[in-house]
Amino acid sequence: MQARSIQFAIGIALLACTILATRVYEVDAPLWRLLQGGNLIDSATLHLGGEFAESNLGSQRDPDGSITLRMIAQQYDFVPSCVVVPVQVSVHLRITSADAVHVLTIANTNVAVKAVPGKISDSFFELDHTGEFDLPCREFCGAGHYAMRAHLVVVPQSQFPSLGPAERAVCGAK
Amino acid sequence: MARNKRRWLWACCAAALALPVASGAAFRIKVMDSSRAHVPSNVAWTSETIREANGGDALRGLLISRRCERCHGQEGFSPSPSIPNLASMNSLVIWKQLEDFRTGKRVSEVMERIAGALSPQDSADLGAYYSLLPNSPDPMDSRSFPEPISNAALLGVAARLISLGDGHRGIPPCQACHGPVAYVLGAPSLTTQNSDYILRELEQFSEGSRANDINLRMRSIASQLTDDEKQALAEYYGAGRGNLPAAAISK
Repeated sequence: MQARSIQFAIGIALLACTILATRVYEVDAPLWRLLQGGNLIDSATLHLGGEFAESNLGSQRDPDGSITLRMIAQQYDFVPSCVVVPVQVSVHLRITSADAVHVLTIANTNVAVKAVPGKISDSFFELDHTGEFDLPCREFCGAGHYAMRAHLVVVPQSQFPSLGPAERAVCGAK
Repeated sequence: MARNKRRWLWACCAAALALPVASGAAFRIKVMDSSRAHVPSNVAWTSETIREANGGDALRGLLISRRCERCHGQEGFSPSPSIPNLASMNSLVIWKQLEDFRTGKRVSEVMERIAGALSPQDSADLGAYYSLLPNSPDPMDSRSFPEPISNAALLGVAARLISLGDGHRGIPPCQACHGPVAYVLGAPSLTTQNSDYILRELEQFSEGSRANDINLRMRSIASQLTDDEKQALAEYYGAGRGNLPAAAISK
């Protein structure tokens, strides 16, 4: 009887460890990647340089042809406020927050990424039709939350600029 | 008949192809060079910086402020509408702007020289002093604030932007960061700010000649505003209407 309850306790503990190790609720990244430390960043010093310096934001063309898109969420906008990606190409979104917890949502798709201060969230998606998407914030983040919105423009692959390794693409209103 | 039908099919196809192109044409793709890094400001709101900026001595600030009086007024209300009012300004704001003038991140011929002669401790002292000043101007003092409104039709536009913003263009409500509803770190209070000064700064942010805002915040918002909206916001605040939270529909 005793042995069976110990087995039960060990089983529950194993199950809990498995859930924890596969996904941490706060960040869309598995626990082992967080423990490596590669996804930690100081939210107060983003603008001083490094991966989320303002000239490094936007779409970057990777050597394998996919796109890495870097964004910052902050009270109360996403920067860059308009981003552009080519259609039917794998996009690796890396986003962090400068202050509160935000959630970037691509309207009418199943993409929603939590942006947490101090951590970088990774997300992968591929959009299969061109057009203009709203990117609203879906986590209440303060007094201006409901107007926090950016735009994503998905263009045909032929219209997307051929980017050099140091070049980043964003978009702006005409 | 068959040819006619095919022609229709082609027309439909062309229209369907043109649609996404037409909607995409509202945007312009910009390519930036990431190797030319622009650091907007050397100030970062770490806990040490906040402690340093808040650790000023108001009495010492009062003595230093005699250098600021001629332009910014004896009680922090400027006699000229193009020079900012500093009364009751948060000490972090004053500390950051002086630091940006000192390091050349914010450009002003006059202020760069004045800030260059101040130490970081002097900036903190000035911040402590100005944050204590009352935010209502002395009626007997010579100051420009509040100014009469020249175009009443613009008030509704301003009240809407200040209270609701415009989510479609990604413009957050001004009062969520600049008061009186809420403040974010380093954002100046606009409730008693001068109209000409606000208008000039909005124009400089939108054309990028002022670029000391951390993480592109004001540059991306100001570049979305039309000239009329900038004028409306400047007049609304300059008339002292920003003291109370704005309602979406103004009377």
